Amino acid sequence: MLRFFTRRAAQAVPLLLVVSLLVFVLIHAAPGGPLALYLDNPNVRPQDIERLRRAMGLDRSLAAQYVAWLGAFVRGDWGYSYADGRPVLDRLLERVPATLELVGTSTVAALIIALVVGVLAAARRGFDRVATGVAIAGISLPVFWFGLVLQLAFANALGWLPSSGRSSFGGGDVGDMLAHLVLPAAVLAVAHAAGWSRYLRGSMREALALPFTRTARAGGVSERRIVLRHALRNALLPFVTVVLLDASIMASGAVVTESVFAWPGVGSLFTEALAKRDYTVLMAFLMCASVAVVILNLVADVAVYALDPRTREAA
Amino acid sequence: MIGTIRGSRRVSIAAGALLGALLLLALFAPLVAPYGVDALDLAHRRGAPSPQHWFGTDELGRDLLTRILFGARISLAIGLVSAALSVAIGVTIGAVAGYAGRWTDDLCMRVADAMLSVPRLPLLMISAAVLSPSVPLLIALVSAAGWMETARVVRAEVQSIKTRDFVTAARAMGATSGRVLWRHVLPGVATTAAVATTLAVGRGILLESALSFFGVGVQPPTASWGNMLYQAQTTMSTEPWLGVFPGVFIFVTVLCSNVLGDAWAEGGRARE
Amino acid sequence: MTFRIAGRVLFAAMLGALACARSSGRGPSNDLLIVGYDREPDTMNRYATHILEDIQTGVIEGLVTTDEKMNVVPVLASEVPTQANGGVKMRADGGMDVIWKLRPGVKWHDGHSHTSADVKFTVDAINKGDWKPESTDGFDRIESVETPDSLTAVVHYKEVYAPYEMQFVRGTLPKHLLEGRDIDKAADYNRNPLGTGPYHVAEWKTGEYILLEKAKDYWRGPEYPKINRILFRFISNTTTRINQLKAGEVHMVALVPWDKVRELKSTPAIRLNQVLGNGYEHVTLNEKRFPPFADVRVRRALAHAIDRQLIVNTILDSLVTTVNGPIQPLSWAYEPNVAKYDYDPAKAKALLDDAGWKMGATGVRAKDGTPLSFTIITQAGFAIRENVAQAIQKQFKDVGVDAKVKLIDGTSISTVWFSGDFDAMLHWWQSGADPEITLFFAADRTPPAGRNINYLKDDALTKLLYASDRTVDQSARRDLLRRAQMRVADLVPELILYNTSKIDAVPATLRHFTGNPTNAGPFWNVHEWEFPTAGR
Repeated sequence: MLRFFTRRAAQAVPLLLVVSLLVFVLIHAAPGGPLALYLDNPNVRPQDIERLRRAMGLDRSLAAQYVAWLGAFVRGDWGYSYADGRPVLDRLLERVPATLELVGTSTVAALIIALVVGVLAAARRGFDRVATGVAIAGISLPVFWFGLVLQLAFANALGWLPSSGRSSFGGGDVGDMLAHLVLPAAVLAVAHAAGWSRYLRGSMREALALPFTRTARAGGVSERRIVLRHALRNALLPFVTVVLLDASIMASGAVVTESVFAWPGVGSLFTEALAKRDYTVLMAFLMCASVAVVILNLVADVAVYALDPRTREAA
Repeated sequence: MIGTIRGSRRVSIAAGALLGALLLLALFAPLVAPYGVDALDLAHRRGAPSPQHWFGTDELGRDLLTRILFGARISLAIGLVSAALSVAIGVTIGAVAGYAGRWTDDLCMRVADAMLSVPRLPLLMISAAVLSPSVPLLIALVSAAGWMETARVVRAEVQSIKTRDFVTAARAMGATSGRVLWRHVLPGVATTAAVATTLAVGRGILLESALSFFGVGVQPPTASWGNMLYQAQTTMSTEPWLGVFPGVFIFVTVLCSNVLGDAWAEGGRARE
Repeated sequence: MTFRIAGRVLFAAMLGALACARSSGRGPSNDLLIVGYDREPDTMNRYATHILEDIQTGVIEGLVTTDEKMNVVPVLASEVPTQANGGVKMRADGGMDVIWKLRPGVKWHDGHSHTSADVKFTVDAINKGDWKPESTDGFDRIESVETPDSLTAVVHYKEVYAPYEMQFVRGTLPKHLLEGRDIDKAADYNRNPLGTGPYHVAEWKTGEYILLEKAKDYWRGPEYPKINRILFRFISNTTTRINQLKAGEVHMVALVPWDKVRELKSTPAIRLNQVLGNGYEHVTLNEKRFPPFADVRVRRALAHAIDRQLIVNTILDSLVTTVNGPIQPLSWAYEPNVAKYDYDPAKAKALLDDAGWKMGATGVRAKDGTPLSFTIITQAGFAIRENVAQAIQKQFKDVGVDAKVKLIDGTSISTVWFSGDFDAMLHWWQSGADPEITLFFAADRTPPAGRNINYLKDDALTKLLYASDRTVDQSARRDLLRRAQMRVADLVPELILYNTSKIDAVPATLRHFTGNPTNAGPFWNVHEWEFPTAGR
């Protein structure tokens, strides 16, 4: 087990290096960049621009810049944001709580919905048809459009909920924060629940088709017990694995939803940094997201390996 | 050879028909559209849906239905071509990896893992922002970001196919690996590939519209469903039709492709 | 069973949340004014920041500022030095001396007096070159500063520098606090600067807001400022900012985008204050990259082809006015009697025919086999600009000119025009209060030396512009600039469209808000603003 874990963990390192190289090359291929902001200002002289270029280290070769950046990154020095000069680490960290609040709530909601819908769909034929239809619709929804439509309906037209932000100033009570959370969390929850419920339904159906169900039924075990106790337990592990592996999709979803609802989290920081070509922030974001995904994948792999004996045989 | 379409037959046929209709409309947009795609009419801006303009008009007085029809050409083109490309890449890499095994397999899968580890949309957004893509480049980007899933699935299938008797027999008779792959293995993944392509169309359209929505995809004045939503963002409260209609088209198109792909896959599974 | 109960509880919680959410924010008052601001400042240091200095204005005052009519008015200086009042003296060696008399009794917020030593320190710090301020224009022309007494600073310029009045519009750096320190790393100053203004920074919650509080012992008197606290909330998403304004969660938004004005017109609590801007939108014609633009007949034809009034009336909802020159109507140097190019497609066609561009079969004109076809670039993300570009494209098409529109994102576009890598560009220039336009039209001020991105080379104009820079006699300068404006209008190096009005959304009950066309910004007179209290 430990050997498996260390082997997989060791494989993650070159993986992350490749990712970092990819990200770095990509971002520095851009025309413009942080100095472009100064060009628009008639007061900035050419000497100033040269001075700034040197100060930001942009006159060295690309390879040198990469090595310098990577070394610093690993040490925890993520550089300074070009947009406001503050340490990137600070800018990211201060936004994490908001993202956790949104992603956490929506994930829990999505899990609950997916569990309920998935189990019911596997057990009852009639509900299955409806659930499948709704789920496919959910997967096909453009997330940002769905967000816009909900905003239009509930915030603009009906005025029941605030259209954006995390809280009103000075009114940070629970009720106010909950009201702001409803729409963005609903959007994300629907987007994820659709796919997850389908997956759970699929693996539940597979579990229910196995011989043991017939045996159990013949033995007089109630249908409900079969479904919930036996089939679900079998299907739960692969389901959780899928959820963990969906981490990178959750990152994308968070970016979109936070932008539409101006939720002050890491996702909207990304879109702001993109608009300003704030390289340092963009790179840190991609690296962190990728590291998180890799870690979650590792956890999923290890969990499967540890808990499901079948995989150990195949390995 | 290709799996039959089972499941709720009527629904999938309806989905297919709808997709086909959209494709036809897109193809013949210049003939079908009531107005010219660039026909500005500054005097009739921001018009609500009316008999003259079924979907209303936009900020410059252009007919929204016309823009949606022409936008269909771009969005569907990107969706279809990128789907074909990404599946082609995925099948190639997956088949090679699954068949060759050992370090080729390892290398291919590591690259796929690396690309899957980076969240796709942010990566694409940065790429598009950096490269300021034209439509062909956008297609390339979306294809480059979508081959991994197909590769994985094809690899697994190839791994199981290559242990089958007929493959062993072919090799025993002296066929080269290339010939075996082409003649015997690949036909076996045809269904998987077809399903993957159908699903990839939906994914590609969603990706393009997301990129355009953030202003880094198809650039105005060229119309695409996604960038029509980008332009409609600021006016949602006063001219909601500008945002609702293009989004409906994206939704319906992706829905149809997912329904089709799903039914196909279901039929394929039932066959086994 | 448990599901159903859980469901009901959740539903009830949501209803409760909705009930709480119904109540919107408190209204504005003399105790607190909440401003929705579009971005978080990088630093509160007025010299180092590269964004507009609205928030800083309430804390750090300049020696002068510009009022809503673009007049230069003294703030920390007791008067604006001019030749007439003896404040400006020409030296025999070709340089000039400007004598700044400081207002007595002004104290920094920590109790130290504001003196001429601070002025000298500021100049020395900027000219030392070891920190990176953004705005240093003119400082490099200063030789030295003398301080004969604590309220007088004599600034020795190496040469005649016409915009000297604006030299200290950003105020001074406190010597007693910053001497000997690395100013970029002085986080205490950059986050909570020491100023003389009506407010000081009470709190800066990163990523969320800056709270300004009334300063003690403000030199104008204890009754100023009238509003105790001003909160700047950072809301970068424009739609969100406007929605929060409509919902009453913020009370004021400066520089409302023109396409949002419609939504706000029907909000009773808001008043839309409009001032003519000190900037103008235009289509730059790069004659170096696209040689057909070098022919003045082509440029004049293009000018006649654009129906500016229609664009203003429709796309811009009549919120701006058309103008005909780079110096705006509010400036003392403005000259209204210049050549005007009214919408006249017939004339445009005639001019193009005259210049040898004959109409082809496809509807595009050509000359010697080259079609009159070019690309107009403009910044992406501005709906209005995208729309104007497309309207112009159509109007050009009507006279046989094929223009393509290409959108480029905000950060890349500066690099593009700076390198001259474009045919035409829909763009705007925002000017300072001083009417200097040499930077934009002198033959030797093409990038990187300046912003002459039309690559115009006209000797007569260049001479006029430099002459106007070298005199501080306002009437002489006005005459030179008048002739320069007429020359620019004759040459049409760029197609001038309309003035960029500034529209601010303020509470309807707010008194003494005037707006400001210059970069002094709408907060230039924040100390005067007040809300009527009941009974007045």
